[in-house]
Amino acid sequence: MSYDDVEIEDMEWNDELQAYTYPCPCGDLFQITKEDLKLGEEIARCPSCSLYITVIYNLEDFLHHTNNPPLEPSNQQPLTVA
Amino acid sequence: MEEDEGEKEAQQRIWSWGAGTEGQLGTKRLHDEHLPQLLLHQQPSLPSISSLACGGAHVIALTSSGKVMSWGRGNSGQLGYGEIVNNALCPKTVTSLDAYVITHVSAGWSHSAFVSDTGCLFTCGDGSFGQLGHGDYSSRCTPFKVSFFASQHVAQVACGMRHSLVLLQDGSLNQVYGFGSGKRGQLGVSKDKIKSINLPQVMSGLEDVEIAQIAANGDHSAALSVDGHLYTWGRGFKGFEDAHSPHCLNSTLNFRKATLGWNHALALTDEGEVYMLGGNHPGVLSDLQNMNPAKQIPDLREVNLEKVAGLDGIKIADIATGAEHSVVVTENGEVKTWGWGEHGQLGLGNTCDQISPVTVNCSQDLNEAASVRVYCGSGFTFALTMP
Repeated sequence: MSYDDVEIEDMEWNDELQAYTYPCPCGDLFQITKEDLKLGEEIARCPSCSLYITVIYNLEDFLHHTNNPPLEPSNQQPLTVA
Repeated sequence: MEEDEGEKEAQQRIWSWGAGTEGQLGTKRLHDEHLPQLLLHQQPSLPSISSLACGGAHVIALTSSGKVMSWGRGNSGQLGYGEIVNNALCPKTVTSLDAYVITHVSAGWSHSAFVSDTGCLFTCGDGSFGQLGHGDYSSRCTPFKVSFFASQHVAQVACGMRHSLVLLQDGSLNQVYGFGSGKRGQLGVSKDKIKSINLPQVMSGLEDVEIAQIAANGDHSAALSVDGHLYTWGRGFKGFEDAHSPHCLNSTLNFRKATLGWNHALALTDEGEVYMLGGNHPGVLSDLQNMNPAKQIPDLREVNLEKVAGLDGIKIADIATGAEHSVVVTENGEVKTWGWGEHGQLGLGNTCDQISPVTVNCSQDLNEAASVRVYCGSGFTFALTMP
């Protein structure tokens, strides 16, 4: 069972891991790569435990802007999703 | 009696267990521990600790003399050493705060906050959501004074995953402030959806309430009034909407302490009873279906609030919550844990989940200690004896 549903804009790009990350309750990070996202993968896993989250994102954003990952959350324009 | 005090203080015992791959257990090892590890043997020089704050994977310890030590993950500067360290395996003093007497500390997912006896607030660590309160989104590896509160007296600070709350000492108006990520309403500063703010902003909805304690974890926030009412806001607990302003729990109970997890909260009453909000989280506990098969029809005034099962007739002295686990101490100094156990955070010698409190064997008789206090990080637990 997915631990949580997390919007991609709430995940952080981690240069070192080359992945989008989100805090896992175990203390490690849920991770998903841009390649995974381009393939339509929506599960981000934690390397330290059995938990995973479902990533909410728009596949098209990753197919068309492959070299332009979304900015850090702090620099993003506020998005209101209806 | 006087002479004994020094000796007892020297004999303070500290145990840790659970997730340990960032050095957060203070055991000088980088692996999980499924049973309580007594730190005294590893840390003979550790000074007397008056309280701990445990974050995502780091620990801030406040010594009896008002000094601060830290260990665990430090990759965002949350240890306050003045440099980025991936992880620190044993306690080290935060020397930049040496000139101050620190009275209160808090640890978030990857940031830390410190309050001095003069009411100054210092923050360090990850600032990318504005959770350090310095008016920017920069991270800092040295505790930096929050100038917004320069002319006010800060009493308490509480750090969540990506936000911070501040309680001013003056019990007058405008006393609780929030900053950092506000997407789930955890700042309580506006009815509108706020992405994040990097300067403290006063909360609405608590103006007429005198607050005794604040708490933050995950995307949750809570405050306890001096007359024992519990207010929560931020991410909604199981089955509830997010709340963008404080909601007073409609209960006749008087609470004296509240702690938050990522999907639940514990509240301790004046009588030593423990109540849980949110309950065990289905993404973590697989056998949720089997829980409370003969559940009573909840009192509508206290819906969502359940008395923790299996503690009947037992007075609880202290409570703590990790992201997905809970810890209580009985008045006899017995430590009991339940919730998610995959990293050994329940200290029961295995990685099993528990749906009700189970006694932890700390391998030494705790009854002689005046009291035992417990603290939880996201996936780990500390217990210490207080002289």
